[in-house]
Amino acid sequence: MNSPGLQIRRSSAQMWGGGSGQRKMPVVSKYIDTSTCIGCKACEVACQEWNDLGNVRTVQVGSYQTVPTLHADLWNLIKFNEQTLPDGGFAWLMRKDQCMHCADPGCLKACPAPGAIVQYENGIVDVNPEACIGCKMCETGCPFDVPRYAARTDKMAKCTLCVDRVDVGLEPACVKACPTGCLHFGTKDDMLALADSRVEQLRANGFAQASVYNPKGVGGTSVVTVLSHGDHPEWYGLPKDPHVPTGVRFWKNVLRPVGVIAFAAAFFAMVGHYLTFGPKKPKEGGEKSRGEGPV
Amino acid sequence: MSEVALPGQTKRTGVGDAAVVRAREDEDVVVGGEIVRHRLSSRVIHWTVALFFFVCLFTGLPIWTPLFGWMATLFGGLSVCRWLHPWTGVAFSIATLVMFVHWFSEMKLTDKDREFLTPGGIIRYMRYQGDDSEVGKYNGGQKLLFWAAALGALGLLLSGIVMWFPEPFGNGVRQLSYVVHDIAFILFVAMIIGHIYLGTAAEPGTFSAIVRGTVTKEWARLHHPKWYRQVTGDAKKR
Repeated sequence: MNSPGLQIRRSSAQMWGGGSGQRKMPVVSKYIDTSTCIGCKACEVACQEWNDLGNVRTVQVGSYQTVPTLHADLWNLIKFNEQTLPDGGFAWLMRKDQCMHCADPGCLKACPAPGAIVQYENGIVDVNPEACIGCKMCETGCPFDVPRYAARTDKMAKCTLCVDRVDVGLEPACVKACPTGCLHFGTKDDMLALADSRVEQLRANGFAQASVYNPKGVGGTSVVTVLSHGDHPEWYGLPKDPHVPTGVRFWKNVLRPVGVIAFAAAFFAMVGHYLTFGPKKPKEGGEKSRGEGPV
Repeated sequence: MSEVALPGQTKRTGVGDAAVVRAREDEDVVVGGEIVRHRLSSRVIHWTVALFFFVCLFTGLPIWTPLFGWMATLFGGLSVCRWLHPWTGVAFSIATLVMFVHWFSEMKLTDKDREFLTPGGIIRYMRYQGDDSEVGKYNGGQKLLFWAAALGALGLLLSGIVMWFPEPFGNGVRQLSYVVHDIAFILFVAMIIGHIYLGTAAEPGTFSAIVRGTVTKEWARLHHPKWYRQVTGDAKKR
């Protein structure tokens, strides 16, 4: 993959930063309009086919949903929620659940294997199976609960935003398959503009709380989601204010440097002690040492 | 060709090291100019724990930070480390449990030992200004090391299990396990750096206690006078 968009901007477990040094490339984005999704799951099938994923046994969860959550062999899941509204009304909500391709990815932050999770210049966050060690730390780092461990390969797996298609100028498989036009693909600026205009439309049509879900806590996402009930992202299974988890940041930003310094400090304290005090030896005139005298 | 050794004869012909032979089974006994401090089983337990500790350390460090990524090469790469580390952790935990049971009864802290819990007590000891006259087989610092190692191993084991099998646990517990594992291992390593220093360079003659099993009488009189009195006193009675 030599195209400019796929130069690596950021990589997991890099000491001195992993930037390619390339000029800034336009970030690509997927647009999801939950208000025009009909829950047909064509995107699920297209994703399975294009990415050659294994079969997943469906689970009856009491709704039209295929399985309860994302799976190592199912990177794209339409989530269904029957929501009673505060005014007594009812909403049947569907959202395409998948990797959000955060600008500040928690998975990449948590990953200990150099190069196993990368962020390309075009904003796509991808798992490199060759470097992945299957430790599942990215599961903890992800605020959206997306990466899944595949026991078959001992690697992590998640949506790649069809980076292989995008690289050759095609749109992601799910977008290609969507029959209602609720999915679009383009630069992030274009998708945000499209989302804003759709939100205007929704607001004019009685959805006063409609908004674009592009959470700032993770620097924005390369999946731009239009929510009719934008004041309640949790109805769609989205966190209200996602962040890279505190424990992961504390580990990487605080405990790691403190630990390395502590090791060096302990070592040099011992060296300093030896130079200052030297080894412990019996006192001069040792015949009448303390141990033998009267207690 | 040498003559055929009959069972009855070989028993007396070999020139063995009396102290080493005695140190197979017995502890706290005087053999010539030496005192047996750690019998064979004690030493084997110590070095088993140490071996698993260092394998855990060198497989864990490259996962912890890319600064130590080169260590992964020693084991065949990071994937091997990721596989080896938890299993060695299990072995380390078991070895530490055996060590705990083995030494538990000798490691009760006396009031005098509690001085090592204060910074002043540790500083006095490190300045060689402490009053050692009533120090028995283990001083307060050694006993504290024992308890800290046991506690640290427990923390590493529990947090390690969560990291190894994170699925049943909530995200908060997983994050906590990383923090606990990190803090426990950082303190553990700093402690072991001190342990190695005190056992080798700082206090000459100590290392032989855990390799050969014996120490000199002078060493015992200097570092563990009460133990020295007990051991030699017993010896005189015999």
